Amino acid sequence: MKRSFEMHGTLELIHPSEQWDCAPMSFKAARQYTGVDISDFMEHVARQLSENSENTADGFSMESLSNETFTPSNREYHPRKQARTYYNNSDIDGGNAEELQWINGTQSYDNMINMTKNKSGDHHHHHQNDQQGLSLITLLMECAVAISVDNLEEANKMLLELTQIASPYSASCAERVVAYFAKAMARRVMSSCLGGGTIMYSPLLQTKAILSAFQTFNTISPFIKFAHFTANQAILEAFHQRDRVHIIDLDIMQGLQWPALFHILATRPEGPPHVRMTAMGTSYEALEETGRQLSGFARRLGISFEFHPVGRKPGEVDPAMVQTRRGETIAVHWLQHSLYDAIGVNWKTMRLLEMIAPRVITLVEQEMPPHSGQFLERFVGALHYYSTIFDSLGATLGCEDVNRHKVEHWMLEREINNVLAVGGGEEEMFGGWRTELVRRGFAQVPMSGNSMTQAQLILNMFPAMHGYTIQQGDGTLRLGWKETGLYTASVWTSPRLMR
Amino acid sequence: MDISLPSPKPPPHLILIHSHKHLLHHHHQASMQNSSYHHHATTTMSITTSTSSSTNDEKKWAEKLLRECAKAISDKDSTKIHHFLWMLNELSSPYGDTDQKLASYFLQALFCKATDSGDRSFNTLISIAEKNHCFETARKVILKFQEVSPWTTFGHVASNCAILEALEGEAKLHIIDMSNTYCTQWPTLLEALATRNDDTPHLRLSVVVSARAGGAVIKEIGQRMEKFARLMGVPFEFQVVSGFTRLGELKKEDFSLREDEVVAINLIGALRRVNIDERSDFLRMIHQLKPKVVTVVEEEADFTSNKDVFVMCFEECLRFYGVFFEMLQESFGVSTSNERLMLERECSRSILSVLACEGDGGGGGGNGEYYYCERREKGRQWSERLRGVEFMPVNLSDDALDDVRALLKRYQGGWSLVTSTRNSTSSQGEDDDDDHGCFGVYLAWKDEAVVWASAWKPS
Repeated sequence: MKRSFEMHGTLELIHPSEQWDCAPMSFKAARQYTGVDISDFMEHVARQLSENSENTADGFSMESLSNETFTPSNREYHPRKQARTYYNNSDIDGGNAEELQWINGTQSYDNMINMTKNKSGDHHHHHQNDQQGLSLITLLMECAVAISVDNLEEANKMLLELTQIASPYSASCAERVVAYFAKAMARRVMSSCLGGGTIMYSPLLQTKAILSAFQTFNTISPFIKFAHFTANQAILEAFHQRDRVHIIDLDIMQGLQWPALFHILATRPEGPPHVRMTAMGTSYEALEETGRQLSGFARRLGISFEFHPVGRKPGEVDPAMVQTRRGETIAVHWLQHSLYDAIGVNWKTMRLLEMIAPRVITLVEQEMPPHSGQFLERFVGALHYYSTIFDSLGATLGCEDVNRHKVEHWMLEREINNVLAVGGGEEEMFGGWRTELVRRGFAQVPMSGNSMTQAQLILNMFPAMHGYTIQQGDGTLRLGWKETGLYTASVWTSPRLMR
Repeated sequence: MDISLPSPKPPPHLILIHSHKHLLHHHHQASMQNSSYHHHATTTMSITTSTSSSTNDEKKWAEKLLRECAKAISDKDSTKIHHFLWMLNELSSPYGDTDQKLASYFLQALFCKATDSGDRSFNTLISIAEKNHCFETARKVILKFQEVSPWTTFGHVASNCAILEALEGEAKLHIIDMSNTYCTQWPTLLEALATRNDDTPHLRLSVVVSARAGGAVIKEIGQRMEKFARLMGVPFEFQVVSGFTRLGELKKEDFSLREDEVVAINLIGALRRVNIDERSDFLRMIHQLKPKVVTVVEEEADFTSNKDVFVMCFEECLRFYGVFFEMLQESFGVSTSNERLMLERECSRSILSVLACEGDGGGGGGNGEYYYCERREKGRQWSERLRGVEFMPVNLSDDALDDVRALLKRYQGGWSLVTSTRNSTSSQGEDDDDDHGCFGVYLAWKDEAVVWASAWKPS
């Protein structure tokens, strides 16, 4: 496995000129992605699709566009009126609110379809691709509704169709998304049929492939770097004038984040601190390799360094596995993702954080509804989220690009699968990381101006920078694509240590 | 890969009943209980991953799991069936590497087998495929496939040579074509007819298509063929023979044979589409057409003699499609090909048909619905049948063999021509005995025989 510890020379972390301000600010719960108005979402999706097709590079000829994907007779895919009668006939316990929403959604969707049909003639061939993408998404949504009311037979039929028609190599991002979503839903339906409730199972058979895909994602997309560099900046500020520091990385992967931090710690005016690192990860072998790499790096920089691997998922870590020492300043870093099944991560990790009581927690999370919510809500949130990521990839990489496929299959398909999988078995509702941190008395530290600068610099490195957007709000930094925020970075501290 | 399963302790409500409906009913019932339903089923399985450089073990995980699953189904071991289906469900993907793909498509077949839902699923898949069938896509797929692999062109070259040689000097030719390659075979033949000698013969091409196979597609094909023939200066007639639901229904009269013409019959991937118990009669009917030559090309796999022994049929299916998928992987090169995806999806329907459908294959009952039989037989078996209805083999000439070899050279490595009756599966001492041998030639990929091509005439 090739390791590339790139030193981002242009991305030097910025030494804090001021004392790190840890006075807590009152945290207004960030706007959660609650039960969304589906018509708005569909409008958004439609807008994105049409914008996306306008931006599609390497001008497809009209002929190739109409030929390259399966072209079902469009008649078949107009939103079927049956969708409503189906709903009326089914026995749903108290699903009435959702029912109404869906029906309203379908109505305005009808209008929207008519609008798109009347688009101007010169975009006719793009329009055709639009229709295909929109049709597939409609069918996908109908299928999600069927699943949410346990009508697995109906869902299965629709999924058979979707998985036969949608191609993950299509030029249409919507179609690619549908291909992966349909497959994930088919897996869910099958596991439901097999009576799979909470089967705790981490099939990380191909850890290497996943890590490799993660690395590729880091190269073709700014999100990971955004997480790393904004977090590093906050950690650096928290370590100001501390000489014994302990970094706990809840999922270190290949440790791509840390060389940059080590570098700047090494060049501090007061000299580098003694650095301890506790690293979690699912593959012990990969952890050991990461440890070797980081140790070597630290040694070359003249930093005294200790590495403690813990071969566990964050949700499986016993506080006893993490040794803390008196007098050390602890930073916990958590780049939340969905590569593992979502079971049990949240509560145990929370407890771990409470016990460790770190000086700083750098959290980067995906903007999606938590796993413990209703399926349909989760589905819509996930569809919105991943459509956006697929769009961002499609803006710069061709439909046959191997790296793009690698990321989409090994990373995103896996995440979509986990997000849509059957029940988390969480007893209580987990309201999202930021909400929970507040609930447990952690205090938010607003992201500094330096972090914002870091984020901007990262974006400048990426060709499609006009598509990526940074939003500041509630002390957080959010990186997204066009209007959709995808990753939110925030910084927290334990209330007990205000020193 | 090191998989450790705990001692199986099936949750009480998990009973795999051989009825898809029942399974769903059961689930539905269970989900009507309160939301703590999901907590009952906690089967903990852990996989310890060996992240050292991938050993062969890790590479072939799909075959191992699939095999275990098939055995469990054959043994009717409900607990094990659940385990393996579940694991396959988690690990498989039609968009991943070869292992993941095989796992995905075979999983579908095994699941349908275990839940008795094969026929229904197959019907749905077929109607979806037919709804979306269009000439441009089909053409793209086959042309791309022919560009990267000799899988189909091998049979074309061998057959064309045999036909041209047998019909040498004749003035009126009638080729009856039952094949699955959208007439991509014929342009080369037309060209040969045009350039061979001064008297270009008249060619009548009768293409046999099933009732459901899309009239629009064959019409388009016909038009292109006529255009091409005009370009070549070959007097040409194109006809479609349709209106039947099973190949076994065809009769001599359907072909409107004429007195003055000489008949050649081209059967590429056709015999396997005939219902098993109708095969001998079908060949007799072919015999009645008094052809000068019959060319037969089939894929080298046996899903017929073992059709009543599930595990054996499964093994053969896994072997054959394992080779096919690997071949696709290497031939196409890139992982992101839509054409390859379509070929793979076609395979998945075949696999489903062979493993999970009642009778000879999927498709409706006797209500006039088209049967999709896909029960392949090996060259040796077809040879036996043909000889049994008074056909005798025609050896391919040296020129023909040279043409085939030249064809194979145009492709990436791994392909070879096998001419002796000794193929990779036959044992040492059999080949010289004509009575027990088989005839024709084989296309081999990495030394494994995959396609069989032969020529016959009435004896």
